[in-house]
Amino acid sequence: MNATVQPDLPPPDIQGMTLLAAGDFLQALEPLRLALARGDTRPSTVLNLAIAEDRAGDRLRAHRLMRIVAEARPEWDEPVLRLAESLRAAGDHAGAEQAYRQALRINPDRIEALIALSGQLLLRGEAAEARDLLLRCCVLAPRNAEAWNTLGLAFRATGAADLALDAFATARSHDPGNVGYALHLADAALAAGDAEAALQRLEQAAATDGANPALLAARGVILERLGRRQDAIHVLEAAAVLGGNDLTIQRLLGNLLVRSGNAARAEAVLRDIAERDPDSAQARNDHAAALMRVHRHAEAREILLQLLERDGPHVSVMCNLANATACLGLQAEAVAVARRAIEADPDAPHPRRALCNTLPYLHGTTGPELLAAMQACSSRLPRIAQPPLGNTPDPERRLNVGLLSGTLRSHPVGWLTVAGIETLDSARFAVSCLVQNSALHDPLARRFHAAAERWIEVDALTDDALVATARAAGIDILIDLGGYGDASRIMACANRLAPVQVKWVGMQAHTSGLAEMDWFITDRWETPPGFEALYSERLLRLPDGYVCYSPPPYAPAVKPPPALSHGHITFGCFNNIAKLTPELIEAWITILNRIPDARLILKTHQLTHPETAARLRACFKGIAPDRIETRGSSGHRVFMGEYDDVDIVLDPFPYSGGLTTCEALWMGVPTITWPGAIFASRHSASHLSNAGLADWIAPTLPDYIAMAVERAADLPALAALRADLRERVRLSPLCDAPRFGRNLGAALREIWRDWCSRRSDGHLD
Amino acid sequence: MNVISRAADPDELCRQAISCLDTGRGDVARPILAAARALAPPSPKLILAEVRMALTEKQFHQAVALLDSALLAAPGHLDLRKRRAEVRHSLGDWEGAARDAAEAITLAPADCDCKALLGMALLELGLLPAAIACLREAAAATSNVRYLEALSRALEAAGDAAAALRVLTDAIARGEAKPSLFNAAIVLNIRRRDFVQAVDLAGQAGALGIADAGTFSLKGHALCSLGCHDEAACAYQDALKLAPEDPHVRHLAAAQGCASPGPRAPAGFLKRSFDLCAGWIEAHLAGLGYRIPELACDVLRQHPSIRAGNPLGPVLDLGCGTGLVAVALHGLPVGPFTGVDISPNMLAQARTKRLYAELREADITDELRGGKASWPLIIAADVISYMGELGDILHDIRARLVPDGWFIFSVESLLPDRDGVMPGNGAWALQRQGRYVHAHDYLYDCIAAAGLRVIRQDRCSIRREAGADVPGLLLTTSPARA
Repeated sequence: MNATVQPDLPPPDIQGMTLLAAGDFLQALEPLRLALARGDTRPSTVLNLAIAEDRAGDRLRAHRLMRIVAEARPEWDEPVLRLAESLRAAGDHAGAEQAYRQALRINPDRIEALIALSGQLLLRGEAAEARDLLLRCCVLAPRNAEAWNTLGLAFRATGAADLALDAFATARSHDPGNVGYALHLADAALAAGDAEAALQRLEQAAATDGANPALLAARGVILERLGRRQDAIHVLEAAAVLGGNDLTIQRLLGNLLVRSGNAARAEAVLRDIAERDPDSAQARNDHAAALMRVHRHAEAREILLQLLERDGPHVSVMCNLANATACLGLQAEAVAVARRAIEADPDAPHPRRALCNTLPYLHGTTGPELLAAMQACSSRLPRIAQPPLGNTPDPERRLNVGLLSGTLRSHPVGWLTVAGIETLDSARFAVSCLVQNSALHDPLARRFHAAAERWIEVDALTDDALVATARAAGIDILIDLGGYGDASRIMACANRLAPVQVKWVGMQAHTSGLAEMDWFITDRWETPPGFEALYSERLLRLPDGYVCYSPPPYAPAVKPPPALSHGHITFGCFNNIAKLTPELIEAWITILNRIPDARLILKTHQLTHPETAARLRACFKGIAPDRIETRGSSGHRVFMGEYDDVDIVLDPFPYSGGLTTCEALWMGVPTITWPGAIFASRHSASHLSNAGLADWIAPTLPDYIAMAVERAADLPALAALRADLRERVRLSPLCDAPRFGRNLGAALREIWRDWCSRRSDGHLD
Repeated sequence: MNVISRAADPDELCRQAISCLDTGRGDVARPILAAARALAPPSPKLILAEVRMALTEKQFHQAVALLDSALLAAPGHLDLRKRRAEVRHSLGDWEGAARDAAEAITLAPADCDCKALLGMALLELGLLPAAIACLREAAAATSNVRYLEALSRALEAAGDAAAALRVLTDAIARGEAKPSLFNAAIVLNIRRRDFVQAVDLAGQAGALGIADAGTFSLKGHALCSLGCHDEAACAYQDALKLAPEDPHVRHLAAAQGCASPGPRAPAGFLKRSFDLCAGWIEAHLAGLGYRIPELACDVLRQHPSIRAGNPLGPVLDLGCGTGLVAVALHGLPVGPFTGVDISPNMLAQARTKRLYAELREADITDELRGGKASWPLIIAADVISYMGELGDILHDIRARLVPDGWFIFSVESLLPDRDGVMPGNGAWALQRQGRYVHAHDYLYDCIAAAGLRVIRQDRCSIRREAGADVPGLLLTTSPARA
């Protein structure tokens, strides 16, 4: 909108200057141009017009006008300084630096030029010169907070951590409401190893200025680094409220919530940031990742596709897209995206990791193919020379067993491992949990916590620091429970956290491929003899199953098969959609065609999304829509209770159900499975065998189909099985925690003895 | 650069703080409340939020101070008055709570919360008929579970256990699915020894999706009492899944073989267990043929002082329970009696005997370590059975005996199981009832290591269980001479 110059208003130069001062750059343009057109060539008028043109976007014209004024008034530093700032804003750092130097030649004490030139110098690594300029600047303007802050940055860049801390503290004291200064101070305190004292100072300051959001933000940063993550979240939440949802604080909060596994809240905060900062690809990518963590993969995928369309290929976005796509059951497309990400950055581990996480879901993936993909990923992990491990090679001593995981809570990893950990002989083994995403409000997390002698939260640790922490904790046997999944820290294992490293549950789709992963916990059903070549690790076969299921105490009672009351059989599959391949759906269509009144219930998080559910139902071509029921998220007890509506579970292939199969068994529902060659394809076969139901394992796909038809026809047998299945499972090795704990302890002892023996034989450093 | 504009609406900040308190985020609320207070004089709404904040931090006196000053300014503010009644109640200031609640009733005669507050305060003051009347009125107007539980407690205290139970079961029948309600009803049934009904209620709770460690523990207790030990083990296992850090639950689960046993029964376990059974334990023990106090009396008759017709002096009765030892020794020249027990309900039963000069509520370990007196006679009848490791306790007892003092105690004997395997660690084993049994060798080693000597050893039956004697020892010891 153009400003109208009224005759009764002040002269146009004054109007323009007033509008400029008020920040109305566009409206200032017209009166200032008018003033110039009327012959007002005074330097102040021309410079004001230049500033307005600059802010309005016509940089070339602005620069030309600024240079005219500078030539006309060579003793005046202002036009040169304005030119420098415009050049800096345009990204012309060399031009800006030259202009700042010119401004300082005209006026050596010009504070803005000293600070800005120092900033430019810091950008190109000339920290010492910047520091010297700033020291002079701080003498000239001892109350200028920005000068002290920039001096802090210069000290930090020259390695003077203590001086940086003092400088930031001075900056903050002159401008206590500035969140940037407060955060620099917090970072400097952490870098100087002064976190506790800094926290104390901030808490003292809070006594008089407790509602200062900048102060709270700094406290939040320090609290997190001190391992007090929940306190940090609370403080940052308060800072966000008191700071009017300032973006810097929101980002700190959002990222902390992600690291804390607080997925729902993180999604809300990151969504807010993405909406308020729509140009930021990072913000949208982060939001998409958060959506994936709350199982809203369709929305995440939409955002990621838009981002790629708008900003072009970006590896991090492509990796997220690959995972989101797989989780929507589009396995081939997901693998293709992961492969494109690898092409874009062949040497980076992350795209390889995306492939490792999508490939196991793709029908037809072979064991050797998966082994190669895992090895290609793990070989690209950074490795740094480490000092020798100092663990005492005594084969019979009490061992320190470390669990490395981001999912020691109500999660498949938790349900399948906690009972075994609880029942390890505490006289022979001490358990140390190296925990990412610690969630001590969670009942399973509390069980791990109660069983552990040490609980070390590792979120804030870099991989290097994690290696150092694990080694300092004296971990003898490190068990990775994360694989290449979200919140995993297996990358650190490439630098050895412990002399013996073991892969167990947790994205245990197949081998880790990691040369430094020594053992792989399995059983004779998951990896029968002859499967060794498909694994980079040595196979540690437990005598029964490779996991121990700990049923939830709130599971509803088992009810009779629904077919008895409904008059038709109901199949079910409550697995993640990522496991539902076109080939699997084709097999299910065949089964449904052979039993014309049978129904199929599909239930999982992603089916809460109506379009996803509709798309899945549409895949069942030729089957009446009312025969396929989709169900979305529910609480765990309700989830378990919904097995009341299912007579027989049809296991997905190639990626078999794990915990889901155990839960179905606990609810009295048997699973028909067709195991393949890769580890992920054999979970149900292991659990069924362990529970004494090996006769539900089909050796071929036609057998899988035939078994479904045949078992569905024998309702009395189904009812009889269901009536005592829970008790049978409870008494089986699948749920026999003390027995599992003994077996696990014996296996861990065996591999420790092996390490001791190899070490004494000189096979190890 | 990055200067934040601060939020400036105190009402909005107060609303946000309350939302944080509602979602259990008190630490978030604290600075927001401080900011709201800095912006404007505090409103009653803000004061009430600050009181909530103080209560979440267990700062009860600070909460009262906030309410005192707010009520000075606004004495007729109903919510402030009710809140102070609640806080005073939490502090054990029953009279103050009753005054505030009564004042609140005058401000809002139809407010059932005020009546409930008054009823709960009167219950604590022992004014049962008035408490019951108030709580009945409140419970009739609202289905607040807390009021129902208080009414049930009041009725039970007034001796009408059936009505007390009916209050709870009626609420359950109406569909109230609160764990505390079920647990209170199960406890009442256990106290009445109606274990079948207790198990049934626990089953109903489970069917409603209640997953509460307390409910599962009580179910285990009731199942054990019915002799259904396998099912009890499952219940205790589930309880332990929900409360893995609770030593009481862990002890119960360990007793069923579901976890590693600790070196002694946790104090919380003993307190809760004996509080539960205080009303009927004497009759129960009589039915089991328990007669350790009488056997101790027989032993004591042989004490040189008593045989010489001289009084023995003060007696420390460790784990005195309902006072059976004092009853058994009443005819001997011993006393005065000091009884120590961890269960207030048991002590209340002991008090009715009027045989103890002093009764103290304490864990016996704390009592022995905290006291200074030396005793000529210490008795622990059926008490050491709640300890696995005995080294420390015997050492502590030795330190509290006069040079010629006697310590008389009973233990259950550790015996091989049916397969000839010695349970436990060879020294002691935890049994299904949550009691420990001890190997005799271990016992003698501990006695000697504590500086005691065995004066007398009597093999005896501690009680009868399932029709069979439970073998044990009654040991009489005295400090070893240097």
